[in-house]
Amino acid sequence: MTNSLNLNDIQGNIVRAYGRFSFPFARYFFLNISDPAEGRKFVDAVRHQVTTAARWPESAEKPECTVNIGFSFHGLRVLEIPPRTLQGMSDVFIVGMKERAFVLGDRDTTKVTTSDDNWNAHWDPIWRKNRATDASGPVNVHMWISLNAQLKRHGTTGEPVEALETRTQWLRDLCDQSNGGVTILSGIGKKGDQDFQSASAVFDTHGKEKLPTPKEHFGFADGISDPVFEGQYRPDDMKTAVIGRGKRVGDSWEPIATGEFILGHPDESQELPPTAMPYEFTQNGTYMAYRKLHENVGTFDDVLMQETNSYAKMMDVSAEEAKETLRAKMCGRWSDGVPLARVPTYPKWQEFRKDRGFDDPDPKTALRNLRVYLGSPEASDFRYADDMQGLKCPGGAHIRRMNTRDYLDPFNQTGTDPKTGNPFENTKATHALNKRRRILRRGLPYGASDPKGNSDETEQGVAMMLIGANLFRQFEFVQQQWIQYGLDFHQGNNTCPMLGNHDHHKRHTIPSDPKSGKPPYVMSKLKSFVECRGGDYFFIPSMTALRMIAMGIVDPT
Amino acid sequence: MPDLDSGHIFLTTLAPIRDSGKGRLEHTSFTQNVRIALAKMPTAMQSPATQATGNNSPFARNKRNHLARMFVLNDVVYNGRIGQNALAAIVSKQDPTDPQPVDRLNTSYVVFCADIDAIAEDGAPLPIDLDEAEQKNVRMAYARELWNTMEDELREVYVNCVGFDGVETADDFATYLEKCHVKTTMPFHDYYLSLPKFNVLPLNRLLIAVAIPAAIAIIALLLRIFGVLDLPGLGWSTFWTFVCGVILSGLVAVWAVQYTLKNGEKPLGPGEYDDLPSVLKALYMQQKFSDFVVDHQGSSAKDLHAAFGKFLSEHKPKDREGPTQGPGLISSAVPASKS
Repeated sequence: MTNSLNLNDIQGNIVRAYGRFSFPFARYFFLNISDPAEGRKFVDAVRHQVTTAARWPESAEKPECTVNIGFSFHGLRVLEIPPRTLQGMSDVFIVGMKERAFVLGDRDTTKVTTSDDNWNAHWDPIWRKNRATDASGPVNVHMWISLNAQLKRHGTTGEPVEALETRTQWLRDLCDQSNGGVTILSGIGKKGDQDFQSASAVFDTHGKEKLPTPKEHFGFADGISDPVFEGQYRPDDMKTAVIGRGKRVGDSWEPIATGEFILGHPDESQELPPTAMPYEFTQNGTYMAYRKLHENVGTFDDVLMQETNSYAKMMDVSAEEAKETLRAKMCGRWSDGVPLARVPTYPKWQEFRKDRGFDDPDPKTALRNLRVYLGSPEASDFRYADDMQGLKCPGGAHIRRMNTRDYLDPFNQTGTDPKTGNPFENTKATHALNKRRRILRRGLPYGASDPKGNSDETEQGVAMMLIGANLFRQFEFVQQQWIQYGLDFHQGNNTCPMLGNHDHHKRHTIPSDPKSGKPPYVMSKLKSFVECRGGDYFFIPSMTALRMIAMGIVDPT
Repeated sequence: MPDLDSGHIFLTTLAPIRDSGKGRLEHTSFTQNVRIALAKMPTAMQSPATQATGNNSPFARNKRNHLARMFVLNDVVYNGRIGQNALAAIVSKQDPTDPQPVDRLNTSYVVFCADIDAIAEDGAPLPIDLDEAEQKNVRMAYARELWNTMEDELREVYVNCVGFDGVETADDFATYLEKCHVKTTMPFHDYYLSLPKFNVLPLNRLLIAVAIPAAIAIIALLLRIFGVLDLPGLGWSTFWTFVCGVILSGLVAVWAVQYTLKNGEKPLGPGEYDDLPSVLKALYMQQKFSDFVVDHQGSSAKDLHAAFGKFLSEHKPKDREGPTQGPGLISSAVPASKS
């Protein structure tokens, strides 16, 4: 049965990936609080503008620019949340992301701490300085505020609505009014010269027109198949939204339990996850990992070119086919987001693109067709249990690691079904061992849209926000076990070909269908294409909790 | 419960720790001394920090144990009062405020568990089954091997234990450890490449064997109740048929339970390549072969053939003794330990 969530009490960024609701621009601010009373006053002013999860348009008007807010552990301490409440919060949230760098693979796990003092030298200055002192330090990140803005309705210059700048100025004014009690921290970017993290969709330019695409800077369509949980959509919308994005139960798709993503609700193990007291402080809130993920686009292209040459020779295909196939076999989807599980070969993919009008001569029509497809259940509705050996989608491919779907069901059979001569279908496979490891992915790419000017040295990547009720069980597990390790996928020490650290493990195996007569191919020259440039863990309170923080009445007794 | 399964012994020993301070002027108890000795014992070289020390676990000096664990068992865990139905407590006149007895161990123990190849000599094949005496022989041989490879470390731990005085030789230690042996089943590893033949319990057949005499007894009883004194056709007394049926089904039930327990005790046969030297060799080959595949992707058949010949002669896949990965190391690339 679908429960009814109090959407007016839940922050909107938990329920909506704004990028998919026509908000292609964002600014992420990080603030420091030096005076608790001024801090509470600031929170009180902001909370009245916070965008909730209330449904558009029937329960709330869709804003031009959204506002959302979260707090680091140090932030809650400085705001004088009582110790008894604080110590009931998640232990990894308390110690913060920097302290968890070993677990997350953000630092070299082959080095001991003492011989690797400068491990985060490549982080943005704001994150290097964060948590270097006690809670109240003037460079500590205490608050995260995000503004997401729509495209200007008129004109095609790829600019955000003016409300984004108005909201930015409003935040600056609030800080000015706080007598130095609240400040916006700078230190963002390689040089540390920005005081907010700007982010936007990657835009394609067609003549005078700039169109936002669903791509990140390696050129892959991103943000497909985000999990769907109970109460997230209207019951009518849920029927289609849940396909491929919920969990398999019997022969149908069902939404994942709300408690996996929002505190105070039963989760997939039919438990109420432990939360800090008082109950209303944590209920309808959740945890979020903010990670600035830099993309080394130059290295990615170089490595791909080297591998393309040997793959093309070995498989006897054109360079273009080799390149696109390798990219797809790394990701698990073709560049445009079409899943390998559905369309496993290059010729079939070309045919599919033609059929769906992705190559329409009018770029606007082509993009619209692509967006319609990516938003449809078809782009998410596929399985891996019918491809245990990874003949279609390699076992170590990026999306197979991020969301294992029905692959890990312990009753799945691997090998060839003697009845059919094809791999076992495992039609009864469930999402066991997967449904407790799902994460809501929020955020947008950052950096210049024109790929020509981009290199490893320039600033581009994805400002990533990963939301779940339990950072340790969900985000950290996926990061450690599925991105930075390969055992669950029979990939040994191999890490995720796209997100993994490749300082020591540089391989990605691409199985071949034995019927093709071709040998498998092992990519062996991988380098670290994505590197973390900093971030931290945040608590995203409910509207009730925000009010309690602002009023200074959080009482755990 | 058998210690033997899949060609391995799952060894558990409990050595009682002396229960007082070392001497009048000593402030350290024997239990504390054991903990200190265990804390100083190096773990296997399985992390950058442990690799940096260059010291491997002393258990890596033999090639029989797949896993070894030593820890101090202070006491049994107290789970609180035994719960009772409140009505039953009133009827039986039990007062819930009366304290219940609390179970305690008489002393703390050094627990030593190890999963070992069930062999008395290095290189011997893993056995399918061993009788009690043969199992004892394996345990004693393992204890002697431990003494010969890590006497100092063992002394430091066991000198704090009851009955260790006078242990001077490998044989003494084997006899001592045998006294501490507890039968249990606690397997920590399995490397089956293909599943062995399981000793499946014929549950349905056992149930039928019990049910048939029981059903006859019930039918006879019902007939008796309804006044039929003899079984139609057979002429047997329904009463005595009932009695015989009950006795027979009881006997069959006892037999079925015994059969079930015995079936559970039957060890599974060893998996192929299940001994420690083969496992280490397999880890080594896996790494070297992966490198070989990557290095020769796209080679011509002729080059590949020549290279593979060289690979075979260099890495000797059939030779368990070498070249191979050292025990207690996380990869074949890690240099061997100092100790």
